[in-house]
Amino acid sequence: MIKRLIAGGKQLLGLHYPGRNLRIFPDDVFLVSYPKSGNTWTRFLIANLVYPEKHPDFANINELIPDPEGISKRHLEQLPRPRYLKSHQYFDPRYPKIIHIVRDPRDVVLSEYYFDIKRRAIPDDFPLDKFVSRFVSGELNHPYGTWAENTATWFYTRGQSPRLLLVTYEALQSEGARQMAKIAEFIGVPADPARIAFALEQSSADRMRELEKKQGHLWSSTKQTRQDKPFVRSAKAGGWKNELSESSVAEIESAWGRLMREIGYELAVANAVSVGADRR
Amino acid sequence: MRIPIVKHLIAGGKRALGLHIPFRSLVILPDDIFLVSFPKSGNTWTRFLLANLRFPGEPVTWANIDRLIPDPMGTTKRDFDRMPRPRIIKSHECFDPRYPRVVYIVRDPRDVVVSQYHYHRKLKKIEDDSPIEKFVTRFLAGETCPHGSWGQNIATWLYTSEGNARFLLLRYEDLLADTARELAKVVTFLQLSASPEQIAQAVERSSADRMRKLEKEQPDRNTLMKGSRKDLSFVRAAGAGGWRSDLPAPQAARIEAAWGHLMQHLGYELSSQPLVEPREYASLPIPSGVPR
Repeated sequence: MIKRLIAGGKQLLGLHYPGRNLRIFPDDVFLVSYPKSGNTWTRFLIANLVYPEKHPDFANINELIPDPEGISKRHLEQLPRPRYLKSHQYFDPRYPKIIHIVRDPRDVVLSEYYFDIKRRAIPDDFPLDKFVSRFVSGELNHPYGTWAENTATWFYTRGQSPRLLLVTYEALQSEGARQMAKIAEFIGVPADPARIAFALEQSSADRMRELEKKQGHLWSSTKQTRQDKPFVRSAKAGGWKNELSESSVAEIESAWGRLMREIGYELAVANAVSVGADRR
Repeated sequence: MRIPIVKHLIAGGKRALGLHIPFRSLVILPDDIFLVSFPKSGNTWTRFLLANLRFPGEPVTWANIDRLIPDPMGTTKRDFDRMPRPRIIKSHECFDPRYPRVVYIVRDPRDVVVSQYHYHRKLKKIEDDSPIEKFVTRFLAGETCPHGSWGQNIATWLYTSEGNARFLLLRYEDLLADTARELAKVVTFLQLSASPEQIAQAVERSSADRMRKLEKEQPDRNTLMKGSRKDLSFVRAAGAGGWRSDLPAPQAARIEAAWGHLMQHLGYELSSQPLVEPREYASLPIPSGVPR
């Protein structure tokens, strides 16, 4: 009852986090991705592209490109328009404009593994193979579905829609300027090469690491976590090739190989065809 | 902070008392069962069928269906908390990973668009002489309801259901052709117990004729038709394939061009050759339980 009263009071003052009940404006732009897929990096990239004068860093990124699940309704409705919003949600038909960032799930699982160590969800010596099995079967520390569920709901609904731009983390890594030009065009910001180069430089892994050292204890996603482990880790594609066991790779590919291939990820294990075994 | 404060006050008070509509903040219980479909795909009929099966002591009517198998968009949190477990809940939402068990009903989109067109007339959202072409355009764009387009809604469920033993797909057309057989599938899937006689009774109590008769007696007792035109009924043809006479061929062709591959996978025969073969439906996984 007390909890309800507090919730009621917060709702009354507009201080609750709206989450999926968010009120959406027709000019909203959503930066959508599964967790640990380069969402924070892309937030920096876009913030530096759109608001270079605000000097985006870990202290203001939550205000510049907020997550409706981590900021109050009142604050959300006071943001300058068009709003740029971060989201890990699965398909939501109301999102008017979407930049969908997709990352190779074999790297996503590694990134999530190290992040879960950083935030003390698992101990340092937790077996990686076991973590991969959990990741595939959907035993997760977040409510966004499995990688394949979340990704499929966006990937297979996009049709020929001009409202969704699919960008892979790997392409952002290998050809940042080109992908950023696409993003700039998509959101209607001048795709000026100097401006794009500036955004890329301001969001480089080195600069983000430096900022994290100074501000890691301030930012909502890292302040309660272990400070001996970095949030900005390798910031590279393909780490799974060295770190995942062959059986872990096979496990991921046999569960999600079809979707991975359709996105453009090459499978490492021959005949790792989606078998559709019961995964729940 | 002018008028909104009053709205906030009411919303806050309702929340404190549990009288708010939970919508997407509905707390889901591990044994919940969701009856999901795109709108106008036989969801209400299936609600009647399941409610009549589950609550044989209380024949289902338009007045009690919202309590027996409620909609998170139309029933208060308090009423949800008072439901007997396992709860059966109606939904038109796209994929939601929190739903523990899902019965998804799919219907030929060419019939869905006709049904929705007439429903929107009944709701006074469009005029009687509103051109169907215009409606089809909005239907394809997902603008006729807040649950995505037909193709998006079904795709979010189909592409996430592969090998998922907690997902059952039913076709409205199969439900029409042999209601008892399809209902028996649901009974097995949900691990309910029901004798053939109980199933027959539920089918009987949910017939189109009975639903029409009840609708005449209770034209305003349900959120689906409150304030709507009384000269048009909610329970309309209750049939399959009406599009062949009601939907002009070029409009059927537009729907097939957009979702042809998805339709074929679901067993809906195309009347035209799709103009575009959408690449993204190239390898549709077929979930267990898909009628072929």
